[in-house]
Amino acid sequence: MSNFLPSIFPGMKTPLALILALFPIAALANALKAPAPEPDKILQTAAARWGNVTKAEAPSFRRHVVPLMSRLGCSGRECHGAFSGQGGFQLSLFGYDFEKDHRAITADKEHEIRVELQDPRSSLILAKPALDGEKHKGKKVIEKGSWEYNLMLKWIQEGAKSDVVETGEFARLELFPKELVFKKAGEAIQLKVLAHWKDGTIEDVTQLTRFRTNDESVALVNNSGLVTSKEKGDTHIVAFYDNGVEPVPVMLPVSTGKFPVVKTRTKVDELVLEKLRKVGIVPSDVATDAEFLRRASLDVTGTLPAPAEIEAFLADKTPSKRAQKIDELLARPAYAAWWTTKLCDFTGNSARMINNNLNGIGNLRSKMSRQWYDWIYKRVAENQPYDQLAAGIILATSRTSLDQTYKDYAEEMGTYFRKDHPADFTERANMPYFWQRTNVQKPEEKSLAFAHSFLGVRIECAQCHKHPFDQWTKTDFEQFQAFFTSLTQGNKAVPKAEVQPDEVSFNSLTKELKEKVAAELAGKVLDTKKNNEQQAIQREIGRRLDAGELVPWPELYARTGAPVKAGPKNQAQGGSRVITPKILGGEEVMLQQYNDPREPLMAWLRDKDNPYFAKAFVNRLWASYFSRGIVEPADDLNLANAPVNAPLLDYLASGFIAHSYDVKWLHREILNSDTYQRSWKTNATNKLDEKNFSHAVIRRLPAEVAFDAITMATTSSERVATFATDIADRAIGPIGNGADRAGGGGGKNADGYALGIFGKPTRETNCDCERTTDPTLLQTIYTRNDPTFLARIDTANRNAWIDEIRKSIERPSAKSADSLRQNIERATQKMAALPTPEKPSAEDGEAMEAYQRKVKQQEDTAGEIKTRLEQMKKELAEMEKPRPPFDPGAALRQVFLRTVSRLPTDAELAQAQADLAAARSPIEGIRDLLWAMLNTREFMVNH
Amino acid sequence: MSNYTCCDGVTRRDFIRIGAITGFGLGFSLQNYLAHASTEGLTTTGKAKAAIFVRLGGGPSHMDTFDLKPDAPDTHRGEFKPISTNVNGVQFCEHLPKLAKCADKFAILRGVSHTLAAHELGTLYMGTGNRPLPSLAFPSLGSVVAKELGAIPELPAFVAVPTQGNNPTGYLGVEYGPFDTGAAPAAGKPMEIRGLALRGVTLDEVDRRQNLVKRYDTAFGDFGKEDKILSGMDEFGQKAYTMMRSTKAREAFDLSKETTSMSALFGTDQFSQSCLLATRLIENGVKFITLNIGGWDTHNDNFNTLKNKNLPSLDAGLSGLFEALAAKGLLDSTVVYVTGEFGRTPKVNPRAGRDHYPRAMFSLLAGGGIRGGQVIGESDAKGEGPKDKPITPDDIAATFYSALGINPRKEYKTPSGRPVMIVRYGTPIEQLIG
Repeated sequence: MSNFLPSIFPGMKTPLALILALFPIAALANALKAPAPEPDKILQTAAARWGNVTKAEAPSFRRHVVPLMSRLGCSGRECHGAFSGQGGFQLSLFGYDFEKDHRAITADKEHEIRVELQDPRSSLILAKPALDGEKHKGKKVIEKGSWEYNLMLKWIQEGAKSDVVETGEFARLELFPKELVFKKAGEAIQLKVLAHWKDGTIEDVTQLTRFRTNDESVALVNNSGLVTSKEKGDTHIVAFYDNGVEPVPVMLPVSTGKFPVVKTRTKVDELVLEKLRKVGIVPSDVATDAEFLRRASLDVTGTLPAPAEIEAFLADKTPSKRAQKIDELLARPAYAAWWTTKLCDFTGNSARMINNNLNGIGNLRSKMSRQWYDWIYKRVAENQPYDQLAAGIILATSRTSLDQTYKDYAEEMGTYFRKDHPADFTERANMPYFWQRTNVQKPEEKSLAFAHSFLGVRIECAQCHKHPFDQWTKTDFEQFQAFFTSLTQGNKAVPKAEVQPDEVSFNSLTKELKEKVAAELAGKVLDTKKNNEQQAIQREIGRRLDAGELVPWPELYARTGAPVKAGPKNQAQGGSRVITPKILGGEEVMLQQYNDPREPLMAWLRDKDNPYFAKAFVNRLWASYFSRGIVEPADDLNLANAPVNAPLLDYLASGFIAHSYDVKWLHREILNSDTYQRSWKTNATNKLDEKNFSHAVIRRLPAEVAFDAITMATTSSERVATFATDIADRAIGPIGNGADRAGGGGGKNADGYALGIFGKPTRETNCDCERTTDPTLLQTIYTRNDPTFLARIDTANRNAWIDEIRKSIERPSAKSADSLRQNIERATQKMAALPTPEKPSAEDGEAMEAYQRKVKQQEDTAGEIKTRLEQMKKELAEMEKPRPPFDPGAALRQVFLRTVSRLPTDAELAQAQADLAAARSPIEGIRDLLWAMLNTREFMVNH
Repeated sequence: MSNYTCCDGVTRRDFIRIGAITGFGLGFSLQNYLAHASTEGLTTTGKAKAAIFVRLGGGPSHMDTFDLKPDAPDTHRGEFKPISTNVNGVQFCEHLPKLAKCADKFAILRGVSHTLAAHELGTLYMGTGNRPLPSLAFPSLGSVVAKELGAIPELPAFVAVPTQGNNPTGYLGVEYGPFDTGAAPAAGKPMEIRGLALRGVTLDEVDRRQNLVKRYDTAFGDFGKEDKILSGMDEFGQKAYTMMRSTKAREAFDLSKETTSMSALFGTDQFSQSCLLATRLIENGVKFITLNIGGWDTHNDNFNTLKNKNLPSLDAGLSGLFEALAAKGLLDSTVVYVTGEFGRTPKVNPRAGRDHYPRAMFSLLAGGGIRGGQVIGESDAKGEGPKDKPITPDDIAATFYSALGINPRKEYKTPSGRPVMIVRYGTPIEQLIG
């Protein structure tokens, strides 16, 4: 156990106990290795215990009645678990609100008496589910006299009591067998479920458990836990009881013959192969050098390899050239740009959502969004450890140090936004905008955003009801949310006693600003539209920002002191109660000991046993490379959504932590594996495999990458050479970030329309699914016929490669060079002949002014001529340059290298030469081929 | 029409956030997001086959258009007088004379009410039928219609003139996005549609290039047919080719093909021409069209703006739309839904303007089996709120979908697996479709 926590937070009382309690998942993993409990200590199945009503014991409300109703479907979404209930009877969805459910069942209301203690058999709660048709819309769910019936009956006979306190806490579920490996389709295996309670009780709850299959095509499970094999493949069956959620792997191997020998180069390969061997899937061979280079360049740098780079790589005979290339790619600016864009996805960098509260000055938001990007970029480029990068966002406050005054803060902000020589925002120790978004204002929004961005967990379900696929209850959510209640944006109030009379504050600045504007507007006729006060204030703020002067910046800070009160909703139910913050799956925290409630959260993230922080990042990274996470969806780590290869995820996550969150270590660990470098070409056993990483998965290029690939394939040779290093106008970089328009990315050089149709995320909801790489028709229409696309392969476009080709085909005529020379001569003469105006005597004011005007005019004219001269001289130099003759073969090869990043096959080259010969002109032939290659699927996918 | 700014500084022009054309390749489902679920308790008998959604951006004053209060005090009443219409007992603003002559064709909904007074939120609420949530983006009416009704091969299912705006597809994904025309049509002229217009390219060239792609797109061999992404892209390639070659697709956007008598039903401004285009598109098989007429954000100088500009334009365009749809025999199968994002303050402000007011507003519904020539709902004496039970945006959306035979309680699944009904809270208004 790490012992850094006490040193950082000396005030924390029992760090060891806290940490131990925080990580039930680790404890659970150990428990699973323990031997099965002895049979005579286990309480028998429900059928055995309540089969005979006269001998039956009193059932427990929490342990038996609620789980039974849940398993029978009573508390399901379509029945009484619906938000409006059903037939006037409402249960908590997925049944975990024991108090409420007990009240719903037993509280006597007129016409709604569901429990008759005097005559238990006539209780509605018992009679209704045994009825059919009109009398119970949910149909008959129990038989009279069955153990289910008896269980309910016995409970009512014993007084229909709730016993949530008496039963104590639930500890864990245990399933047998631990893994289901089928031999043939149709085979069935019975699951057995044991519930362990913290008081030591162990019960066989198989008949009180809900089951679910994660893939119906692989295995089915019925109500009683009988699992039937269907098709070849692997998945999980999940058991739900109380707040226990326990998945068990199930598979029907794809092949059963002798597994071939497959060499494993790295630990990743070993772990992947271990699973593949189990499910009988033989991995594909390793991809060719050209495929590897294209794939790795696109994945690591969001950029196609340059033609010269491809040829050099293919010619390179060094055995370790792939590893070298990986290091090279990771060192390029395009790597930092693309992965910063990804981090902006994960953290929700949306210009539209950034809330600067400065009277709605719109373009500020774009700047702030860009600062967000730049701030992360600097850290990605430096390979700052991920935990530090995350801490800079998570723990951010507007003031960068504890002793910074409001005035210092406002001055600091001013330096970032002034027009001349703005200060470097990326030098700031933290980046507060994550918490300053319109959609991240309320405590619940903050907890959802935090959980999504840094834990890869979606807890929104638990906002209203027990999470259907995880252990989270509404109470868990409320307690987690309590960490964020004191985090505020606005005017940080200072106790009156501490206010200095002349001190600059948010209020004083606001007041001063308003007074100034009011004074300016005083006496003017307000023609409403233009001189509107709001607009005048906006103008003044804009002016001050440009000049780097003070404006009333709102600030992000954590309120200290006040304990967290339950919201009005909870007050209505349980009176005003104080909610103690509790870490997800962990222990309650005494916030008084911290300056900022986010500190204990960050400490929790950094603990090596944290079940989410490292895993969430590792899994997202993996998903970027394989188009699918080890847990999929990649941002949905929940208990029921078991990893397809748990040892693999554990290995990478613990390695990531052991390497102090070195992000490039993680990249290398993945990229250098054969698993990453496999071909898309499949064999008979892995053809249908989509989730065990046995072959490369073909995926469409992400929006920004596709956009840049089109640019790179069509732009000048000069630009191609710098494409991965000069990223200023790249869509994968700054241009794709910081636009004040949803789905846009607009910017000066990128095309918001194209990025939108290719699925660039708006980053406005907590879901990685916002980025989509589904192909659509509009994308196809874009690459076939969009005017902006066609302009890229138009010779009229000066930056287009096709214009280079034109120049190499069309030799400049001697005549045009001659006329250019004449023009240069003429312009030079004109320049020399410009008269010098006569300077009048200093006393003659009027003449002096006229003279100055003339001089100015003269200078302008001279400037114009000079520019034209330079342009013409450049053109002439270009014409006079010796040119190699047009080489059709080389041009055709270039088209292939530029688009599909490989040389054409002999057949393709022959075909291309034939097509070129048949074209109306060589330029048209080359252009058509370029157009066609850009429209191949091979270009548009990463394979 | 396409370029107007609201008071919150948001330009509603080119909110270029485009999705893709919908409904193609139904056999091809990359991610099977959506599943049928419980549709219990509601049956839909609607038979309409297409819809037009007219957005009055900025939020029109209900008191000066379709919900006049001649007996309200001076502080509220406004300058305009009511006129009678061709429906007994139904009166509205004197500056809508053409609509008054076809009031039998549409229903007026008064006392429509919600609580979101910001342009964007109100627009989202009205345009999706669901109150916006920070945690979930709902699909627009058009995306749902595109998904449910599908598209014909040559044309997109969902067209927006000129643009649809922010995040039109919500949790449904880009597949069901609108095809934005990017501009409004001009009278008597064909429209050049981005990606469809063949600028300087002949059909021969289109064919030749199509053949070239076939020749060089062979790297994946047979695997190209098995892989979902590759086969999908191939299918889209074919569809794009079909559309680009299609005369029907081009002519659907060509207003010069309209008869003089049909064109004469409309004005010549952009809104009227957009309405005419909408009738043409519906005729040719488009399923949902968003039209925009902005400039209703009248914080200042409300009455002059309405009288001189907005109302004459709305009157000409909408009346033309109803008449032309009827003349083309399409009114019975096309639902028309006209609405702003909110109403405006009943009390006139010192700048002769009215401000945002979601508590009372109006909407219009017509065609597609909707019973026209009636007023549904009522606002109170001063137009300050619904008199009795309010009509909610959810109710209108539920009615709208029902008329199209789409069960508003049908459940979709969001990408994260959360079940969500198309309209979460609304109930169809019986007097309109019952």
